[in-house]
Amino acid sequence: MKALLLSVMIALATDAPLQDPAEEARAQSLMRELRCVACENEPVSQSAAPIAEDMRARIRDMIGEGSSDQEVRDWFESRYGEFVLFRPKGRGLSGAVLWIGPFLLLVVGAVIGLLTARRKRADSARIESEDA
Amino acid sequence: MIEAGHFAAFLALGAAIAQTILGLRGERRWAGMTAIAGFGLMAFSFLTLVHAFAVSDFSLALVAKHSHTLKPMLYKIAGTWGNHEGSMALWALVTLGFGAAASVLMKTDRATFEARALGVQGFLAAGAMGYLLFASSPYLRLDPAPFQGAGLNPLLQDPALSFHPPMLYLGYVGYSFVFALAAAGMMEGRIDRVWAKEARRWSLAAFVPLTIGIALGSYWAYYELGWGGWWFWDPVENASLMPWLIGAALLHSVIVTEKRENFAAWTALLAVLAFLFSIMGAFLVRSGVLTSVHAFAVDPKRGTILLFGLMAYGAMALGLFAWRGPGLKGAKPWLVGSREGAMMANNIVLVVAALTVLLGTLFPLMAEAAGRTMSVGEPYFRLTFVPILAVLLVLLPVAQSWAWGKADMTQWTRWAIAGAALVAVFAALGVGLWNISLGAAFGLALGVWLIGGAIWELRRRAVTLKRVFRVSPRVWGMTLAHMGVGLFIIGAVVETTGRYETTVALAEGDSGEAVGWTLTLDDVGSIEGPNWYADKAVLTAVKGKVKTVLEPMKRYYPAARMPTTETAIFKTGTGDLYAAIGEQRVVDGKARWVFRVYFNPLIDLVYLGVLMIGLGGLFSLVKVKR
Repeated sequence: MKALLLSVMIALATDAPLQDPAEEARAQSLMRELRCVACENEPVSQSAAPIAEDMRARIRDMIGEGSSDQEVRDWFESRYGEFVLFRPKGRGLSGAVLWIGPFLLLVVGAVIGLLTARRKRADSARIESEDA
Repeated sequence: MIEAGHFAAFLALGAAIAQTILGLRGERRWAGMTAIAGFGLMAFSFLTLVHAFAVSDFSLALVAKHSHTLKPMLYKIAGTWGNHEGSMALWALVTLGFGAAASVLMKTDRATFEARALGVQGFLAAGAMGYLLFASSPYLRLDPAPFQGAGLNPLLQDPALSFHPPMLYLGYVGYSFVFALAAAGMMEGRIDRVWAKEARRWSLAAFVPLTIGIALGSYWAYYELGWGGWWFWDPVENASLMPWLIGAALLHSVIVTEKRENFAAWTALLAVLAFLFSIMGAFLVRSGVLTSVHAFAVDPKRGTILLFGLMAYGAMALGLFAWRGPGLKGAKPWLVGSREGAMMANNIVLVVAALTVLLGTLFPLMAEAAGRTMSVGEPYFRLTFVPILAVLLVLLPVAQSWAWGKADMTQWTRWAIAGAALVAVFAALGVGLWNISLGAAFGLALGVWLIGGAIWELRRRAVTLKRVFRVSPRVWGMTLAHMGVGLFIIGAVVETTGRYETTVALAEGDSGEAVGWTLTLDDVGSIEGPNWYADKAVLTAVKGKVKTVLEPMKRYYPAARMPTTETAIFKTGTGDLYAAIGEQRVVDGKARWVFRVYFNPLIDLVYLGVLMIGLGGLFSLVKVKR
């Protein structure tokens, strides 16, 4: 009974914030980018599942012990696979497609837009300004 | 009753087929009449379904599976579309409804064009009706009828969520009619001023309900899920955001076609894309391809049929564009520094933003197909989608004053100085006073920039201050919408950077500190509703002289064997004090309740901003006779 009580207390203590507000803010932001492994599409910051609670506790422990954000991410990834990361990694081909793709599209779009505009200008030597 | 409705649905399918044939043959009057007949028949059919839900007729399999006698009437009725078959019936009804409305409201003096648009709409309606009747029938009987129904997902028993699907469908299906107009315009090779006037109206008619529908869904997630967030970058949310972004691009592009007969092919393509993204959104949600907290009606077998339909529609729509699109030519020349250039920038950024959402949403699915599990979530979109859109929003106040063809670019330096000053002020305040990140300070500056820019532009259009209330509703619509974007950004930035959350465990009679408030747990009692029972906490919250009572609940719905959270929200004027009740635990020998308490500053601006965007759309629809 006492052991049970103790474990409940630990479980509850898990959601107690860290003393240092800056560390707590870092921990909370990590909780928002790590995925609860037992839930459907929810970060650990937003799940009532026991595993999410354990994960929150682990994040706070690691931050409290002085781990960097990246060390926390790496620890969870080594434990649960990259599935746990809501911020996908930038490495490899898939990382490049995901992280560079949108900006590349923007550049390509801008180039196409500029070329279209240039062609339009070539259509006519004189463009009159006209107010709407 | 249901049999009559079932029969009427078959007749409606017949009417839709007739509408397709007559419409494509160019018979405007007959196509219009069949469109109205089809809608009338399906409306009757849909009402028989609603009736069966209202009176809890459990001999209907759908009612038995999704309803319950103890449910409040609103949720019995909303239960009609809170399931796969019923929502498809609603989809088909709205598709026919847009055809009927268009047959009355279209005024282009081009009979053949209008007939063809009705024909294409009839074709889409026939597809929806065929799917409904042959793959997803809501009309099936049960024998013997059970005495009680299995209930509706309790999460859906909520006023905001009752009207969320009909609003979204009005938006999604609205774009099907915009597509029908584009298809008819491409068939006759005329995407011109007259076409654009008509298409613009229908684009707005789709955009406004889509905006409201998304806002309702987001507000529901905010207070019902109990985690204090309002946008989760969940695939189902993304599915509705993509057509919204394309729709916003279309609203701007179609103006260029209307005023200058430029961008004809591009506007047609955006109309096609808005339609395809809409049905893809419906497919993603309804097929069960995504596992997500929001996708309630899941069925992979039907998903295959829907996917096939999506690909067939996509191939036809894009094929039509590839065939007829290149023939469409813009009329007047323009420079980069012109309103055309500004609209082009708008379109490029919004389309790239939509594609970014698409990439982030589908990438995990593709990875999974390749045997790799991964996740894409909020941090990804914050680092890609947000800066991409920011590029456009920085430009907006400057470029919205540009003239058609060739803009007066001498104002550049003034704008640059004003913008730089604004950023400098907010950066100094943000870092020095508010202790927020530079990114957040920039976000606030951007919000103020947009609101100020919108007012500046209104003033410019009105020429003198006295004439501000005499500018056209369209200009007011634009002003409201652009100010709405600014308000939304301020709300979103303040809420996401300034939100704080804590957990407190209280026994009855205890007090605790959370997010700057002193909370006292007066009582936790059991109460009973029509189809649920609940633990309800009474918390007194005090901060300085302000005192309020929060009553969060944890409900349990026995029919569905599911719990839900009902959060308690107190609007302090600067934000929401938000409490959700969690588990009961024994700590230090005492039974304590765990509460999650949040303070969400300026969250109302998020919703106010989105509502203003919708209101701006409504204003833009108003036509003034001069």
